[in-house]
Amino acid sequence: MRRAFELGLAVATGLALAFLLLPMVALFLRISPAELADALTSEVALDALWVSLKTGLIAHFFVLLVGTPAAYFLATKRFRGRGTLVTLVELPLVLPPAVAGIALFALFGRLGLLGRTLDTFGIQIPLTQTAVVLAVIFVAAPFYIRQGIASFEAVDPLLTDASRTLGASPARTFRRIALPLASSGLGAGSALAWARGTGEFGATIMFAGSLQGVTQTMPLAIYAQLDLNRDIAVAIGALLVLVSLTVLLSVKLLPSWTRFTSPSFIRSAPSG
Amino acid sequence: MRSRAWLLTVVLLAASCGGDDSGGSAELDGLTVFAAASLTEVFEEIAPDATFNFAGSDELATQIREGAPVDVYAAASPRYPNELAAEGFLRQPQVFATNRLVVVVPPDNPAGIRTVDDLSRDGVRLVIGAEGVPVGDYTRSVLETMGAEDVLDNVVSNEQDVKGVLGKVVSGDADAGFVYVTDAKAAGDDVESIALPAQPPVEYPIGIVAETENLEAAEAFIELVLSEDGRQALEGAGFGVP
Repeated sequence: MRRAFELGLAVATGLALAFLLLPMVALFLRISPAELADALTSEVALDALWVSLKTGLIAHFFVLLVGTPAAYFLATKRFRGRGTLVTLVELPLVLPPAVAGIALFALFGRLGLLGRTLDTFGIQIPLTQTAVVLAVIFVAAPFYIRQGIASFEAVDPLLTDASRTLGASPARTFRRIALPLASSGLGAGSALAWARGTGEFGATIMFAGSLQGVTQTMPLAIYAQLDLNRDIAVAIGALLVLVSLTVLLSVKLLPSWTRFTSPSFIRSAPSG
Repeated sequence: MRSRAWLLTVVLLAASCGGDDSGGSAELDGLTVFAAASLTEVFEEIAPDATFNFAGSDELATQIREGAPVDVYAAASPRYPNELAAEGFLRQPQVFATNRLVVVVPPDNPAGIRTVDDLSRDGVRLVIGAEGVPVGDYTRSVLETMGAEDVLDNVVSNEQDVKGVLGKVVSGDADAGFVYVTDAKAAGDDVESIALPAQPPVEYPIGIVAETENLEAAEAFIELVLSEDGRQALEGAGFGVP
């Protein structure tokens, strides 16, 4: 009986792993290393790589710049409606990408809430590289801010209090105490946000369109090449699997990652 | 309670079948048709009971090659039906409609487009079909015929089907786009059309997918499209019929 149960667990695990990993194995088997290298050096693939890198870096810069203080604020201040705010920040995490796309249109489209005003100044955002950056920020920022809040909450308040009583300003306390202590958690959040941003597809293709070398990121290039040149689509797909694996490993290998995701543990832990 | 709901369904179904049914569409239940995005409105009108998947003809061809469970394929270009027929995925396709290309602009025409020449002006935001998508290939061939390839420098997005082009013009986020006359007509007052001096031959073939499990329904559907009713619906939507 017990043997049967154990066997059942093992079989279920095997099935789950096979189902999750076989598609990626098939992807790599569909193309030889030589073809892979060939396809990856095609103009379409290189353009897509460049667009993804450029828009990703710009988006990530803003995610870190604005997300870090915002996460610190939400983690350390206690005020009415804080819980609601945290939940609202997380909303894009569960929002279907198509909704993100149409919502960005509703705001920035030429007839949109803000777009109408921007248009009178001759500024148009949809179907430009700026639109790609905005779409990436929209879907990726919540990953970072969420992780940032957890990381800052995990910083022992005794340490920040000590810093304040010793005469350090709030800004100095943030910079010298909170930020270094939260850094590995923030690093993990940053990696996750980067991965989500790199994979962004739905909102981008709706809101930014698809133009090689301008708005066609790697996921969009996969979609565009699927019917034109399957090798290139497969090659970019394989590259993205490797990128994702790297991100995942770097998150796993960050030492204090698990500690900082569990504020309840920190609260009961001895300080120091 | 449950059996009463079931009975009600049966009665309603019977009533709907006995109604003003224009002949034979009930037998299209369970039929799956893959059709070019530009056929959306007219096919929905011709056979409301069939299940449709409207997308770019190239994307649909890829799905058929990958074994999608589909009975009929109607494309906006002979290219993909011919390829599929040669590979054994599609039975002999036949042309059932023709179309024309047109430039559409938003009703307020923000970029002041009057002629095709205006499309190459600096700052015009043009949206067209991607390469490989029939409407995109037709657009490129028309521009080539007219010697106006510089217009392509103003493209801000290559869309995966014609409705993607139309949508971005309707929303006003593109200044102009190349679509079929039929799409412009379906959009009504949401766009204004500018006729093109040159036209590619736009032909729509339809064929039965080789591995269909609904052969009779597939034949009935094609018959319906080729019938007098079908031709009238196509002409009403702005298509040409051979």
